[in-house]
Amino acid sequence: MPPSFEVIGFLGIMAVSYIAAAAAALLFEDDRARRVTGLLSAAGALSGMGAAALGLAAGGSSVLELPSALPEAALEFSLDALSAAYLLLIGLVGVPAAIYSLGYGPERAVGAVDGALGRHSTGWRPARAIVPLFLLAMSLVVLANSVFTFLLFWEVMSLASYFLVIGRGDSPENLSAGRWYAGMAHAGFAAIAAALWLAAAGTEAGRFEEIRQAAGMLAPAARHAVFLLALLGFGSKAGVLPLHAWLPRAHPAAPSHVSALMSGVMLKIGMYGLLRVGLDLLGGGPPWWGGLVLALGVVSALGGILSALVENDLKRLLAYSSVENIGIIFIAVGIGLVFQSYGMAGLASMALAAALYHAINHAAFKGLLFLGSGAVLQATGTRNMEEMGGLIKRMPQTALCFLVGSTAIAALPPLNGFASEWMIFQSLLAGAAIPYPLMAAMMAIAAGTLALTGGLAAVCFVKAFGIPFLAMPRTAAAEEAREVPRTMRLGMGLLASACVLLGVLPFAAAPILSRAFFGMPGLSDTPAAFRLGLVMEAGAGASAISPTALALCLLAAGGAIPLAFRLAGSSRALRRAETWGCGRAVQSPRMEYTSTAFAEPLRRVFADLYRPAKTLDIEFHPESKYFVRSIQYQSRIRAWFEDAVYRPLFGLARPLAGTGRLIQSGSLHLYIAYIVAALLALLLLARWM
Amino acid sequence: MTLASSLVLLSGIAVLWRHSLAAYIRAFARQSFLIVVAMVLVAAQTGDERLYLVAALVFLIKVVLIPNVLQRVQRHVGADLEIHPYVNTPASLVITGALTLLSYGVALPVTALGSLPTRGGIPLALATVFVGLFILVSRKSALSQIIGFLILENGIALLAVLATFGVPLIVELGVFLDVLLGVLVMQVFVYRIRETFDTVDVDRLKKLRH
Repeated sequence: MPPSFEVIGFLGIMAVSYIAAAAAALLFEDDRARRVTGLLSAAGALSGMGAAALGLAAGGSSVLELPSALPEAALEFSLDALSAAYLLLIGLVGVPAAIYSLGYGPERAVGAVDGALGRHSTGWRPARAIVPLFLLAMSLVVLANSVFTFLLFWEVMSLASYFLVIGRGDSPENLSAGRWYAGMAHAGFAAIAAALWLAAAGTEAGRFEEIRQAAGMLAPAARHAVFLLALLGFGSKAGVLPLHAWLPRAHPAAPSHVSALMSGVMLKIGMYGLLRVGLDLLGGGPPWWGGLVLALGVVSALGGILSALVENDLKRLLAYSSVENIGIIFIAVGIGLVFQSYGMAGLASMALAAALYHAINHAAFKGLLFLGSGAVLQATGTRNMEEMGGLIKRMPQTALCFLVGSTAIAALPPLNGFASEWMIFQSLLAGAAIPYPLMAAMMAIAAGTLALTGGLAAVCFVKAFGIPFLAMPRTAAAEEAREVPRTMRLGMGLLASACVLLGVLPFAAAPILSRAFFGMPGLSDTPAAFRLGLVMEAGAGASAISPTALALCLLAAGGAIPLAFRLAGSSRALRRAETWGCGRAVQSPRMEYTSTAFAEPLRRVFADLYRPAKTLDIEFHPESKYFVRSIQYQSRIRAWFEDAVYRPLFGLARPLAGTGRLIQSGSLHLYIAYIVAALLALLLLARWM
Repeated sequence: MTLASSLVLLSGIAVLWRHSLAAYIRAFARQSFLIVVAMVLVAAQTGDERLYLVAALVFLIKVVLIPNVLQRVQRHVGADLEIHPYVNTPASLVITGALTLLSYGVALPVTALGSLPTRGGIPLALATVFVGLFILVSRKSALSQIIGFLILENGIALLAVLATFGVPLIVELGVFLDVLLGVLVMQVFVYRIRETFDTVDVDRLKKLRH
């Protein structure tokens, strides 16, 4: 059915706002450009959300085809419930990030920050123009309804984010991150293109409806190939282990609101692609598809959080934690696919809804944490947590927002991370009902790993909050940190409220979650297996929990304790006194728990996985070795895993690329000669074949 | 008809044994004029008035306008000789001969099966396309590149007239506009290349490679 007038209007406003935002960034001068671009981007994201809300309310899917000269290259969009859910997700992070960007930039930097922030590209005009285009491309990817449209905007999305990662291109760190990202994004694109073209082989114009109808006729081998290629391509965009290598490099290199968008939104577009192709277009497959996704998810969740734990760079830590959360989402998607292939429609719907719920929640809290890290970066000029400390006193509002985000990501009730992880656990536990012991056992193993991951995530975010924000400032830069501009705090505040609301009132997300998979093959349209109300119920009444009530209880308990003290008649006079210093005469920042020290116990426990390299240099006094002059201790953790996977690949690719370079002489004549040779060859082929 | 086409091809080949850029431009103007003649012949044969209009436009643009622009460029740039082409004159002529043979081979099915009165010219038009391409590949000066492109375009125009008695007028007009704008843009580029590299030798563009 054709889209309603309102939907077209909203989508039109969205596209026009984004494009106008990009134009404004190029046309206006610095300060005004930032204001106009930020506001227009926010307006674009907001109208995208409006279109999504209308689309969800209307149900079904509405198709919009733009006129084009070439039928196979026509742009065609459709808004169905799944696209609408992702459009909402884009807006959820897009609006706060755009507002945040109003105040974010080197010009506004407080304190002596030239080094770390100066490298950032927010002040560079083209980069500011690219952010709205990036948002637009992501929105159009989820709206795409044909292979050509999908691939076109997928590539625009990858290129836009690539340019945001390299920024001005004058820092070797960013350039190296960009090379990793470009390489993996293009390898992923090749896999996705192969998958989609293979799926669309028998169709006329590569429309998604045609593929949906033709999918049943595909040979099993072709179906498997399509799924595996899609998993490879979308997995590399989503950042599942072992395809995550670009993530901890690219996320820290990009400006923080872009990191928030990349981590909060773009990774989910990878998940969207997998759902669209695996579930919608192919209509699901044998159980091992889901099993494979589940296994990848388990490995990513554990691997991601273990890498995050020992990281001292705040943004790299967050990037690794994104790998972990994508892992959790993939676990839920995997269970969903497994349930679906066994015909357990209700449970499949529940697991997929949980995956989507966690995706939305992760967008909220990871977006928030990246914005928070950007605020810290702007205030202190560093991403190294060892050089921060005591920021809670200097940036109280940022600290509060960061605390909300950390609590949510550690899955503590009553915040949103808890709600979605609870649903994922329920889905995993319901996996015991699967009649095949091997698969049921896998579910149990996954549940165990997920529990371990949750525990480690809590440790990790105690560190991520505690080391930068608590105790005393470790450097002068941290000492001089000041609260960031109001717009930045507003952006963070919006996401923090989203974290609280999505957690305390899960029924607010219910209309999205219960409708997103409407009409997809092998799922139940009436989600009887779970209910999101004041009480969340899962597994057909097997268990239930009410985050709302929980929040009220916490609130009551929090209020009751001071009340009790007051009733007991304790004096409320404020007393200031020294902290107990274990008998030390002086307290200095050098005595504080460092980030490395905090992670040390776990580093020892998992030494087999980390394989840390230590060097210890002790310089003795020349007279006697009982007197030590200096001790140097270095401990590094090399990503041996990446070396093992990527070294051989590089070794293979480099000679090939060198050979390919031979034909790139730079000579115009030679290039024309290639064209002539190709023309002649084709003519001869046409003549004598 | 075949005679006119042969002359078109010959004036294209003429570029290959001359060294003076002024002679290139004259050869191109001559070739364009021959195409006008071919068009008028076809128009007379088929009685299609629109072809007269097209022929008049070709005359205006390719015989008068573009050679004029090119002569201005050539005077501005100064260099009058195409020195050191990649392929010397004898070898160029041999290769052109081979290309002509090849186009006869390729066009054989069309000429053998077709009943068009103009079919004798089709391989020659095709050969003109190849000659144009060959000039693009083997000559260094930016101006010769433009000439090569224009000869290639002439070959296509001739092929269109001979094989289909002229494409629809709107397409023909579009092509004229394209060619004219193309030449104007290339003119600007030649000036820029000269400013940047102090020569119009396109070979120097190799230095742009990273």
